Amino acid sequence: MNLQKLETGNTSFDHISHGGLPLGRTTLVAGSSGSAKTLFGAQFLAMGIQLFDQPGVFVTFEEQIDDIRRNLKSFNWDIDTWEKEGKWVFVDAAPKEENIIAVGDFDLSAFRIRLERAVQKSKAQRVVIDSIGSIFMQFHEEMHAIRRELIQVALTLSRLGATSIITAERLEEYGRITRFGVEEFLTDNVVILRNVLQNEKRRRTIEILKFRGSNHEKGENPFTINPEKAIVIIPLSAMSLKHASLNERVTSGIPALDKMIDGGFYKGSINLISGAIGAGKTLLVANFINGIRQNKERCLLMAFEESSEQLYRNAANWGIDFKQLEEEGLLKVLCVYPEISSLEDHFINIQELVKTFKPDRIAIDSLSALSRTSSDKGFREFIIAFTSYLKHLEITGMFTSNTPLLAGGTSDTEGNISPITDSIILLRYVEMNGEMQRSIAVLKMRGSKHDFSIRKFSISDEGAEIGSHFAGISGIMTGNPMLIKHK
Amino acid sequence: MSKHEFQLFINGHSPNSIEAVDTLLKICKENLNDNYNLEIIDIQKDPDKAEKAGIIAIPTLIRMYPEPVNRIIGALNVRSRVLAGLGIPSMYS
Repeated sequence: MNLQKLETGNTSFDHISHGGLPLGRTTLVAGSSGSAKTLFGAQFLAMGIQLFDQPGVFVTFEEQIDDIRRNLKSFNWDIDTWEKEGKWVFVDAAPKEENIIAVGDFDLSAFRIRLERAVQKSKAQRVVIDSIGSIFMQFHEEMHAIRRELIQVALTLSRLGATSIITAERLEEYGRITRFGVEEFLTDNVVILRNVLQNEKRRRTIEILKFRGSNHEKGENPFTINPEKAIVIIPLSAMSLKHASLNERVTSGIPALDKMIDGGFYKGSINLISGAIGAGKTLLVANFINGIRQNKERCLLMAFEESSEQLYRNAANWGIDFKQLEEEGLLKVLCVYPEISSLEDHFINIQELVKTFKPDRIAIDSLSALSRTSSDKGFREFIIAFTSYLKHLEITGMFTSNTPLLAGGTSDTEGNISPITDSIILLRYVEMNGEMQRSIAVLKMRGSKHDFSIRKFSISDEGAEIGSHFAGISGIMTGNPMLIKHK
Repeated sequence: MSKHEFQLFINGHSPNSIEAVDTLLKICKENLNDNYNLEIIDIQKDPDKAEKAGIIAIPTLIRMYPEPVNRIIGALNVRSRVLAGLGIPSMYS
């Protein structure tokens, strides 16, 4: 059942395709205009040359070669040199400036011969034809002839034995596969690239529709165009929930909170702090970070709301010295505006940091700020991909989330994330006797018993203090605390 | 009247190629009074020229002169349309 595949060199694609593109076969890559089809093809060739020393042929039916060279320059692919070394060969089939008319029957044998020569001369193992729809535009009155001839081209490709990509235009993101029905004769392997506008935000996805006779991940996976690594896919479905559950506990940095959750957070767990503004979320994060001292762990803090000066000053007020932790190489703080890049790019940045810094803990303050940069669906996918990534690496995570109301309620962010988290800690204001008091409660702690009481929570110069539970009061969570009168 | 200059790309003895050569030669003789230059290029023998000119379809006729350069693809089997495409009056005088 399994056909052989050619590793493309784009690790994320090889991951979702279970090994790469079908070896020696042609894959149709369909997408609307601006969906990164050309880049997908070019990356396939560039990776082949860079990583496996496999020469490639790039056929262009649409863009002029000079434009392609220029557009790809930003990715640090040395196409000029590769061309000189005969590893990258362009076949120019782009429209000419001259006027073309058709009188009588014709075939595309000139194109086939040129393609065959280019492949044989360079011993190409990879071929990209970009994009086949444009040839219908060039010879728009001769659809039948072009269709018949393209079948010949497909046969030539399969005879040459190179692994190839043919790109094709589509008009709608969800509709027929290609504009000119190319899929009718290129049916075996189909990949779809999408660039959907959703809630004023662009969302790029890739879907492997089919690889005949082979397994691959199903459904759409978001991807981003990284300035260095070109197309990077964020695999969702490929990340299974087969993480080992760890029994080891790590401290929250606050002994009284550790007691509430029966000894600390589980290592590799995802923990959510939910609360209104000023309820003490960042304080819990600071303590979570301070908790790394105990076992000389390392922590990465992604701060999306405050500048580093503010953060350091606040932590210092609570008796926590971020500077020192940073100097010891245990803490890395990254303060960024969430809007500077897309969620996918943030994800890739974090991955890069994790790779180099190798943290044991990650804190994100706050997730709500991050959620502003994407659609709901995109955010949910990010959370799934991100949490399973952390679990895979056994990194303990603490995320904060803002609630819109001071006293009670939940936010959309939480709706998205709470099923995935291992524990949820609520910080709520309690209005009692003309006074605002803070409260802390553990809503959920997966795989462990925990304290069910709602406790007083106060912030002093010494940091967080957790007191006794609010006895005889009901309705804190709904925002309407009332004294229960005992008869 | 200055000379017309043509390049005709063909593929060996394919029927379309033969038809295109025949029609073009007739036009040259009857409509251009032999006042022309014609280069017939067989892509099997001279693929580099096809590469350079970016030829995809066979047959392809390129009118190099008079300018602007233009191209007609196909077997050229409708003479009146070929003449129109080349900008040659059907009754040359």
